[in-house]
Amino acid sequence: MQRRRRFLRNASLVALAPLVPTFLEKLALAAGPQADARILVVIQLDGGNDGLNTVIPYADPDYAKNRPTLRIPPKDVLKINDQIGLHPAMRGMADLLHDGRLAIVQGVGYPNPNRSHFQSMRIWQTARPDAADAQTGWIGAAFDNVRERKSAGPDAIYVGESDLPLALVGRRADAAAITGLEDLALHVATPDISPPAKDEGNVKAFVRRTMLSAYGTAHELARGSQSAARTPSSYPDTKLGGQLAAVSQLIKLGGGTRIFYASQGGYDTHAAQLPQHESVLRELSGAVKAFMNDLKAAGLSDRVLLMAFSEFGRRVAENGSLGTDHGAAAPVLLAGGTLKPGLFGDPPGFSQLPHGDLPMSIDFRQIYATLLEDWLNIPSAQVLVGNWAKLPLLTT
Amino acid sequence: MSANWEPYRPIRDEPWDVRRVAHLHRCAGFAATYEQIQRDLRDGPDAAVSRVIEGKSPGAEPRAKFEDLSHELADAAIRSGDAERLKAWWLFRMLFTPDPLAERLTLMWHNHFATSNAKVDDLAAMHRQNETFRKLGRSRFGELLRAILRDPALLVWLDAPANRKGKTNENLGRELLELFTLGAGHFSEDDVKQTARALTGLSASENGFRFVAEWHDAGTKTILGTTKAFDPDSLCDLLLAHPATAHRVAWRICTTFLGQNVASDADISALAEGLRDHDPDIGWAVQTVVRSRLFFSETNLGAQVIGPPEFLVGTARALGMFDPPPSTLLLADWSRRLGQDLFYPPNVGGWAGGTAWLTTHAVLSRANFGAALLHGQVSATGAAPDLSAIAQRAGIAASVSAALPVFNDLLACGQLSDAQLKSIADRAGDSLTDAVAMLLATPEAQLA
Repeated sequence: MQRRRRFLRNASLVALAPLVPTFLEKLALAAGPQADARILVVIQLDGGNDGLNTVIPYADPDYAKNRPTLRIPPKDVLKINDQIGLHPAMRGMADLLHDGRLAIVQGVGYPNPNRSHFQSMRIWQTARPDAADAQTGWIGAAFDNVRERKSAGPDAIYVGESDLPLALVGRRADAAAITGLEDLALHVATPDISPPAKDEGNVKAFVRRTMLSAYGTAHELARGSQSAARTPSSYPDTKLGGQLAAVSQLIKLGGGTRIFYASQGGYDTHAAQLPQHESVLRELSGAVKAFMNDLKAAGLSDRVLLMAFSEFGRRVAENGSLGTDHGAAAPVLLAGGTLKPGLFGDPPGFSQLPHGDLPMSIDFRQIYATLLEDWLNIPSAQVLVGNWAKLPLLTT
Repeated sequence: MSANWEPYRPIRDEPWDVRRVAHLHRCAGFAATYEQIQRDLRDGPDAAVSRVIEGKSPGAEPRAKFEDLSHELADAAIRSGDAERLKAWWLFRMLFTPDPLAERLTLMWHNHFATSNAKVDDLAAMHRQNETFRKLGRSRFGELLRAILRDPALLVWLDAPANRKGKTNENLGRELLELFTLGAGHFSEDDVKQTARALTGLSASENGFRFVAEWHDAGTKTILGTTKAFDPDSLCDLLLAHPATAHRVAWRICTTFLGQNVASDADISALAEGLRDHDPDIGWAVQTVVRSRLFFSETNLGAQVIGPPEFLVGTARALGMFDPPPSTLLLADWSRRLGQDLFYPPNVGGWAGGTAWLTTHAVLSRANFGAALLHGQVSATGAAPDLSAIAQRAGIAASVSAALPVFNDLLACGQLSDAQLKSIADRAGDSLTDAVAMLLATPEAQLA
């Protein structure tokens, strides 16, 4: 019996060989400072974050005028300068900013903003406002072109409770989705799965590939976790905190995955916004600070960059139910050890409000171009359909 | 109607075989037992499909007793305030129902009008909505749509009570156009604003639905090019008459019962046209699809990733686990781990379904579930299915290699090749339990 079990394990490892790196390779990879060991962590803020109450133009009288019940009083704002400050629940982010590890790009959007959650999120995830039927995401498509694979882990891992985000879907790139590390334990011997046959239908081939990759990830983690550092207790006990703690552990395991993706819901604040928005911003800010500090302590600060975005901001004027409806441009937040801290882009201007929304000053594809080229060393023109002017966000 | 929607007739290349019988039950129900498959093979496609359509599969309990038990379980779940028990109630229905198609349609509408108890926070309202889906799930789409616009859970979910004259909230209006009827691309931002105005006055309180006349904006609105003093009712008329609505319903039915991209745009349009000729009769469209050549075509066999409850309940039903049944509370938790937390869709768009079911976590959970079920770990009493009894009833020796083909038919529509079965049998040694667990972890067992 014992012998058969060991044989089963080995047999499936042989079948999964291209997906399972040896532990030595992983150590080498984790230690290497080479450019492609750089990691991008994306946090998707679901529902449309009220940017105006996140990065607040507290000194502008138009802000107070448009937000009679929802405005954050200047005395409570965590001030960045004499015009702009952060929501009071974002103490952790303010600390990161003072420590030189946070950058804020203001007024990020795209032309002719779409106010549907799905379509706008789709646009952010595909970076293709022109192609509503795009089937691949900006990260997936970017990794489709990266073929000298240094590692065997998936290109991207999504940690969260939703389906795999379209952003990570590519034609060849592989992405895995988990809710937490405990999800990746396999309690059964898995059958041999032959790789997809050439004449097999799309769905069948997809299922075969997906299951091979899932079983491979489980085996890899079972081997690696025996020696990996345990989750540090410094993370806040929140959903996002748990997700980022898992991401940190996966990074430390050194599977070679370069993209991690997490999501946080609760930003669709149509009614009674104040307490709800405060609570999600507190969760975001606390989790990001714990994550960045954890990485810093592990000496990984310079290898990891984090970006938080939402599908749109909200209307400048509040609605009649103490909330805000779907809007357009909003800030994007970046955290890491190698960025230029502070504010980028124009502060919110109220003089012209197309359809009652803040005008955009920076196209989100400029940020993507910067991250792909300057951070991940992946060409961006094909994925983003054009050469977008990059932003001077990084120090390296 | 295109030829693809004509009823299936067995031909030499597409015979009425065990693959098609198992496919029928896995795609339009929750799988079938060995005896049901044998019966349908004998009776032929017409009788087999009719039984599915009419909801006359004999269940483990007589229908009246089943409904009595269901009522008791639902009442107790609501009284307890425990959402897990309401999920378990629904899984009880899926497991024991004599009408599996009705539960499949209830699942479909739960996805179409995806409402989450995370915000509604009212089990009675969630249960009531679920019963509406069941009752009207194969009626005319207009009836269902009008009922859902009076459904307290949905109204609370989409902020209808906050949508009032002079201070609109666009949440319900937008999703009504984008998700429930027309679909994206068929309306403008201004249509959303005007639709929100037309919907003012719809509200819900603890006592249920109410229309508050003084909150309703009775002024004229221009929606989709038509100007009049729209109210929720005349707005429904407008949306139901729009061709895009029938198309979206046809699309929803095709994605539920057929594999990804099996129905072409032309097929969906033809079905939509038929729907409009039948005063959007959902039952007619479902019947057309499930009886069709396309449904039983070689391209559609194994082209669909079956969803979490279908996989979980289907496995239990195929293995005849009715007495004692698996724990429905545990099944509900497994459904969450497989990616479908009943009554808690991820967002208003519902679950993406299809290949999106197979996240890494879900794939591993499916494999783990198979092993857990077979080892009695999905049962309150530790009961495991009696695999050798199934093999015996099939007249086959309980040796692993002899019995595996039966389980291939039951759990994987007979899709595994002899070589794959042999590889599993070789590795499992003399444990039929290990072999069937491994079979449940193959790609073929996820497809129907």
